[in-house]
Amino acid sequence: MTFLTLERLGKQYGNSLAVETISLTVERGEFVSLLGPSGCGKITTLQMIAGLVTPTTGSIILDGRDITHEAVNRRGLGIVFQSCALFPHMTVAQNVAFGLEMRGIGRAERDKRVADILALVQLSAMAARYPRQLSGGQRQRVAIARALVIRPPILLLDEPLSNLDAKLREEMQFELARIQRQVGTTTIMVTHDQAEALSISDRVVVMAGGRIVQADAPFQLYERPATSAISSFLGRMNRLEAEWRAGRAVVAGIAMPCEAALRPDGAVSLFIRPEKILLAGVGGGVVDGRVTSRFFFGSHWLYRIDTAVGALTVSVPNQGLKLEDVGDAVGLKWPPDSLRHGGGISGAEIV
Amino acid sequence: MTADRRLGHWTPVLLVLPGALLFTALVVVPLGLTAWLSVLDYDSATGIKDTVTLSHYTAILTDGYYLEIFWRTLRIAALTTLICAAIGVPEAYVLARMHDPWRSIFLVVIIGPLLVSVVVRAFGWSMLLGSTGLVNQALHAFGLGTVRLLYTETAIVVALVHVMLPFMVIPVWTSLQKLDPAIEAAAWTLGASRLTAIRRVVFPEIMTGLLSGSLVVFGLAASSFAIPGLIGGRRLKMAATVVYDEYMHELNWPVGAAIAIVVLLANMLIMLGYNRLVEARTRKTLG
Repeated sequence: MTFLTLERLGKQYGNSLAVETISLTVERGEFVSLLGPSGCGKITTLQMIAGLVTPTTGSIILDGRDITHEAVNRRGLGIVFQSCALFPHMTVAQNVAFGLEMRGIGRAERDKRVADILALVQLSAMAARYPRQLSGGQRQRVAIARALVIRPPILLLDEPLSNLDAKLREEMQFELARIQRQVGTTTIMVTHDQAEALSISDRVVVMAGGRIVQADAPFQLYERPATSAISSFLGRMNRLEAEWRAGRAVVAGIAMPCEAALRPDGAVSLFIRPEKILLAGVGGGVVDGRVTSRFFFGSHWLYRIDTAVGALTVSVPNQGLKLEDVGDAVGLKWPPDSLRHGGGISGAEIV
Repeated sequence: MTADRRLGHWTPVLLVLPGALLFTALVVVPLGLTAWLSVLDYDSATGIKDTVTLSHYTAILTDGYYLEIFWRTLRIAALTTLICAAIGVPEAYVLARMHDPWRSIFLVVIIGPLLVSVVVRAFGWSMLLGSTGLVNQALHAFGLGTVRLLYTETAIVVALVHVMLPFMVIPVWTSLQKLDPAIEAAAWTLGASRLTAIRRVVFPEIMTGLLSGSLVVFGLAASSFAIPGLIGGRRLKMAATVVYDEYMHELNWPVGAAIAIVVLLANMLIMLGYNRLVEARTRKTLG
């Protein structure tokens, strides 16, 4: 059931187009991420939904009601700002209670709802503290509690975790996902961090140049990116320039096992993720190569391997198996379905 | 080792010494001399005597003439502070929301009054407010008749507000600069109207700037000399002008010194009390 609809939404600042046209539907209870590089229009889109920016074209329909021109303070959406934007002179409890106070909710119920939401974000013990006495992660949780306590139809998150350090960011991702699942509020999150978008959203909307490039479930998006721009934006990707001849892809005279397709003969770009390539003994794979460099990432190793078909990046999980040294000869193989064609739309790529 | 320790013992004293000497020479000694002068007896025929008396103080504090001047000084300074706050806070708010180059331009406009000599500025106001000045010409043109503006308390307050405004705008603007701009937006999204957001979220944050700005404006207004001297005229005296008169016209230095000491103590009392308010507030918001 469609809950929020953005209809050909656009925003123009003078002569510059911040958002060209966005059409998107969000289901009730869904967690949607807007992902893209800075300047792609994702923040403007969020601000238009929030009511902080008035769209130049298009409309926003929430639960069957047109809210395009409704004032921000009547829209009642919960928003978590990148900087948290907590009120510095108010305690945690006062911060959280502010939205309820504005709604004229009585003292007794206000206190109860504040206590409930602080318990949800596990900050009950901090109710009397001031924002400056909290850590970054705690501040973020107060901001989330403050946005959720008003029981908004939609929760909007503006790069909520970008100010946290890497370790804390990962913890907060899971925390955010837990809170969202528990409350069930429809959530739209803006982020430039692909790992964040992939790990906690139901659907990721990739934006570029003020438009939606692809909207899909995280796994689909990673496995079947619509364009090579998306594929290299989301994680690492190897690219091979091949010749398509009679139903087979050939690079430097070597036939590449790849996914089946019906396509005319000619040049084709092939893509494969580093973790899909497996190391085999020399001569035991599709192509042989020599390790030129090796990097350690903790959970995995990254090899650069020179082969007859070009340099490939291969990721190998750190499972305590035999390590290849720089200069070692190796064979490379992969399941045919992992080597994909550069989408059906080569040439029509955006960005 | 022992030599080091002895030197270490003296280090703080040596570090404080230059500042302490300067402070003693420029503040403590003149103040002490003024205080000493204020308790010396005076006779209009023979001048200052060597006998110590508190008669000047009792005379000042019981004489309606002086009490009226003290009261006027307090009233004018308080009114100037109030008006500066009422104009300065919105002005700073608008300034903080401006973008360059307008912000820089208006910052110069706001600081402008400080760049003009106080005497020139005061004469400028007396030309504007005089009986044939621009204001009265305008009133006359609208058939409203002339109003006596020059040599009134109103004129003094107007001229003081003009020069004191930057001292209010700058601290308030500074505290606004420190404010996260998303805070106001956060209040709106939680259901606050624009006015409520300013009152509940922005205002408490600039309170420190407002209080320290008021402190400066009040202090400067209460001790102002050139503006009440030139715009208030001979009759409308304020604390600083009456001290000047006692010294230069009456040649009664002890009474002048006594007035100066009384004004100083009164000012200090008001400002210290006010400062406690500021500090309590700061502790609460900034920790």
